[in-house]
Amino acid sequence: MDFIIQAIVSGTLMGSIYGLAALGLTLIFGVIKVINFAHGSCLMVGMYAAYWVVMLTGVNPYLALIVVVPLLFFFGYFLQDIVIKPVLEAQSDVREPTEVIIVTSGVWYILDNITLMIFGAEYRVVQTSITGKAFEIGEIIVSTPKLYGLIATVIVSVALVWFLKYTKMGKAIRAASLDREAASLMGINQYRVYNIAFGIGTAIMGVVGCVLIPFYYVFPTVGVIFDVKCFIIVVLGGLGSIPGALLGGVIIGLIESIGAQFMTSTWTELIVYLVFLAVLFVKPAGLFGEKRDW
Amino acid sequence: MTKETLDKILKIVLIVGVFTLPIWMSSPTYLQILILLFFYAYLTTSWNLVGGWAGVLPLGHSAYVGIGAYTSTILFMHYGLSPWIGMLAGGVLAAIVGTIIGIPTLKLRGAYFALATMAFGEGVRVFVENTDKLGPFVLNGPRGICIPLSESFWNFQFMSKVPYYYIILIMLCTALFVTWYMSRIRIGYYLNAGGEEPEAAEALGVNVAKYKVIAMAISCFMTGLAGTFYAQLALYFYPKAILGLDFSFEIAFIALIGGRGTLAGPVLGALILRPVSDFSRIYFSSFLPGLHLVIYGLVLILVMIYQPRGIQEPLNKFYNWILDKATGNIEKKGVKS
Repeated sequence: MDFIIQAIVSGTLMGSIYGLAALGLTLIFGVIKVINFAHGSCLMVGMYAAYWVVMLTGVNPYLALIVVVPLLFFFGYFLQDIVIKPVLEAQSDVREPTEVIIVTSGVWYILDNITLMIFGAEYRVVQTSITGKAFEIGEIIVSTPKLYGLIATVIVSVALVWFLKYTKMGKAIRAASLDREAASLMGINQYRVYNIAFGIGTAIMGVVGCVLIPFYYVFPTVGVIFDVKCFIIVVLGGLGSIPGALLGGVIIGLIESIGAQFMTSTWTELIVYLVFLAVLFVKPAGLFGEKRDW
Repeated sequence: MTKETLDKILKIVLIVGVFTLPIWMSSPTYLQILILLFFYAYLTTSWNLVGGWAGVLPLGHSAYVGIGAYTSTILFMHYGLSPWIGMLAGGVLAAIVGTIIGIPTLKLRGAYFALATMAFGEGVRVFVENTDKLGPFVLNGPRGICIPLSESFWNFQFMSKVPYYYIILIMLCTALFVTWYMSRIRIGYYLNAGGEEPEAAEALGVNVAKYKVIAMAISCFMTGLAGTFYAQLALYFYPKAILGLDFSFEIAFIALIGGRGTLAGPVLGALILRPVSDFSRIYFSSFLPGLHLVIYGLVLILVMIYQPRGIQEPLNKFYNWILDKATGNIEKKGVKS
């Protein structure tokens, strides 16, 4: 039974990091009603930023958060402001503008391939003070960087919920996500709200980037791996739902780690797709989703 | 000469030119580029039946290309069945799979449908990449399949590129005709109404979902045929080349840049984007890998911002302007409008 418990522990840890990555995507969808196909690329940008901060200064990867998170926030803020806003304005009468999905996938292509041109296709690893560290509880081995990932997920989720519930900006974001026209009539500048929501969504990817680099490779197409996972997680949990994203992440993490005990890891990938399609067919709104969104 | 006659003459010249092209252009390299261009135009036209007219965004059409290629090749290698028949079998299988996937997913709203088709496409890729043998049939996993050489019309294999050129040209013309015909009969109107305002169309008693599924089945059938064509053209294919996200996205991108939901859009999109990607790949890939994809992304964003209906709209205007200019109609235009 030990190997099952081990799989559950490591699956939950990795799943919480997936959940954190999906949190940014679900926030952006919840507000703008657009699937950000460049989400994985934003994670890739976050990972490269974290990689270079750690490589150049030699600081602890969690200290790099101070630089990476604001950087990614402004990256997302201006991405939305410069690239996505013009299309949103042109499509302001459509509830779910598909054109914006396409623009974000254009951003995805550009970011991934510019990174490829600048840094090359090689896989990069960074040796940090906690790389490969682990501790044992009884027979169970817990990887330290992944545990920090779980802690980061909890902190970020609590902070995000607090922000959305109790700050003025958070209330504006929630208002705009419910009804953008009514919110504009109440004096909320909807495009500023979108910029900030997009910025927060990408800033979260900065956190994920810092959490991942102690134990994950950095390469130009790393985003695609997380992209598809994040899409699956948010649909599983319900687009726009914060608890749904976290729970969906843990479910995917568990499927991967428990499945890997019985079959090769590529087959677990297929199971993830099957679960995803099954959920879509049976309950398209996902675990915590709202019916009006689909 | 009136504008209409000039328009007709130009169109006839274009059609004659395209059909006689292999006679005066013998370079196999350029012929190959043209074949691939028509191949993409054909795929995009097929995609357009769902992605354009039905108003959803399918991002998993590579799965049906793969179904077509694998079905006809397996039937040929195991039973010696002619790929011409295998092509139809692959198309029918693709249509059946498309219907099964379409019935539940086409009820979903925009983003959900895009994600569902994308997950399906990726699922098919992962499945094929990890399967060496499906029952008695050899799939060879990620290594792909090499079709044994035996040149004959019945085996859909030719030494020269010219037959391939005519086959894909006829396929493209058929696909364009199907699209044109569908836009004139009832289903076309229903799809158009359902794509723009599903609720309003439902309220008027149109069973939008049913017509979307029909469009999906036709689109998948035609996409499946393209799979066989690709397999017979290259005689070697592997999952990374014909399955997966990149391919699905490329099909969608061409349609969107060209102008989704229009007859000429997919062809114009392929006409402009394929050379851009081919030539930037040839000239820049040695020192700037990935540049052609950056260009793709940039074009896509710019078109979406400035011409959300695709480049067919300004090109149409330009074409009309040329016609006016050539026939001396330009002064009268002010009076007309």
